[in-house]
Amino acid sequence: MIELRNVSKKFSHFDAIKSINMKIHKGEIYGIIGASGAGKSTLLRLINLLEIPDQGEVEVNGQVLTKMKSKELRKARKSIGMIFQAFNLVANKTVYENVLVSLELANYSRNKRRSRVEQCLEFVGLKELMKKYPAELSGGQKQRVAIARALATSPDVLLCDEPTSALDPNTTAEILSVLKEINEKLKVTIVMVSHEMDVIKSICNRVTVMANGEVYQTLSIQPKGIQNLQNSPEWFVEQLGKGGEFHA
Amino acid sequence: MPEILLQYEDEIWRSIGQTFIMVGISILAAIIIGLPVGTWLFLSRKGKLMENPVVFSILNLLVNIIRSFPFLLLVVFLIPFTRLIIGTALGTAAATVPLSIIAIAHYARLVEQSLLDVPKGVIEAAVSMGASVREIIFKFLFVEARSGLVLGLTTSIISFISYSTIMGVVGGGGIGDFAIRYGYQQFKTDLMIYMIIIMVILVQFIQFAGTTISRIIDKR
Repeated sequence: MIELRNVSKKFSHFDAIKSINMKIHKGEIYGIIGASGAGKSTLLRLINLLEIPDQGEVEVNGQVLTKMKSKELRKARKSIGMIFQAFNLVANKTVYENVLVSLELANYSRNKRRSRVEQCLEFVGLKELMKKYPAELSGGQKQRVAIARALATSPDVLLCDEPTSALDPNTTAEILSVLKEINEKLKVTIVMVSHEMDVIKSICNRVTVMANGEVYQTLSIQPKGIQNLQNSPEWFVEQLGKGGEFHA
Repeated sequence: MPEILLQYEDEIWRSIGQTFIMVGISILAAIIIGLPVGTWLFLSRKGKLMENPVVFSILNLLVNIIRSFPFLLLVVFLIPFTRLIIGTALGTAAATVPLSIIAIAHYARLVEQSLLDVPKGVIEAAVSMGASVREIIFKFLFVEARSGLVLGLTTSIISFISYSTIMGVVGGGGIGDFAIRYGYQQFKTDLMIYMIIIMVILVQFIQFAGTTISRIIDKR
């Protein structure tokens, strides 16, 4: 489904990615984990050529993206959805318009646009917030809009760049279940970058651990399911350890 | 109505008309040419969608040179050019040429700055959805920067009004020229003050309209 062959990327004199090979199969939820600066985000962004590799080939769905002219590449990108840590919604467009724009870009037939937008927003559970602007939404709701936007054109692949890192534990769990549902119901291959172990463990089938721009190891894991992540005050106190109570 | 205003009513209306023509043409030039130039300045910057150091340096230098000219000298400097395209260097029509040139440079810089405020991630999301540069400009950049673009235009228009007051040197007329020739040079101080009041009201109105519109369209 996705194949990187001897891909490398330099930023001025820093080797962000050092000749990486990677294969991701159809239908997988594939995790990429590592410390800050390990190159995990760069690796993800190489898949849809948001970063152009200095060397090597990138193949998605049988098409070699690195050999494409810009027009073909733009077409190919329409079947690769992407969501981001900062959501990256257009703040001056409503929820409806944010999803609509992705259909406009894909030349989706005009009279089906409205129903498609509604269908996608229904899927992420936000249909009633269609007329709101992003500033009026919570973080979790914004990420749902971003997911609806990425799914509108029925992509085969969804790239997720730290999708839950700006969210609290409960909202993280909600977003992860949406992603899992997308994978199961819509048969979308998911590649997810995260630095949070719990996030990776909960839904990924395979994980690449990255360090210093290289693949340290790739492992198959049994996804342990989305834990009922909590953020009640009792839970926080429990996690912190019951130290002596503080008296002022 | 003070008597002196009635006495000069025809001249005053004509001056106001001339100011509106000069400023109006400048606004058109700013929007039709300044907006694309500013967008191109932004896009040709290092790390942006149409990165091109040569284009950026040339545009950047041109905008800086035009803006660093003392405006009166720019008007004089452009006389041969004005004569070339209007046929004469004198009159209201001729005055619109240097005004449009400064308008383009002035607004282009403000457009560039507004576009720099658009979060990088929004442009990235657009690229990831397969948007072309044209689509990114119209469906993302201008949408996200729209309140800044309006505020910038407001600031520009007020500068154009100020620039237009010296166009008397090439017979361009306008309220400023009237205030100087009739009010200052003929010692009719009251007339000069009335003209200043008209300018103040005009500027207040434009600033109020610009601020209001930009606030209404800003959903960030």
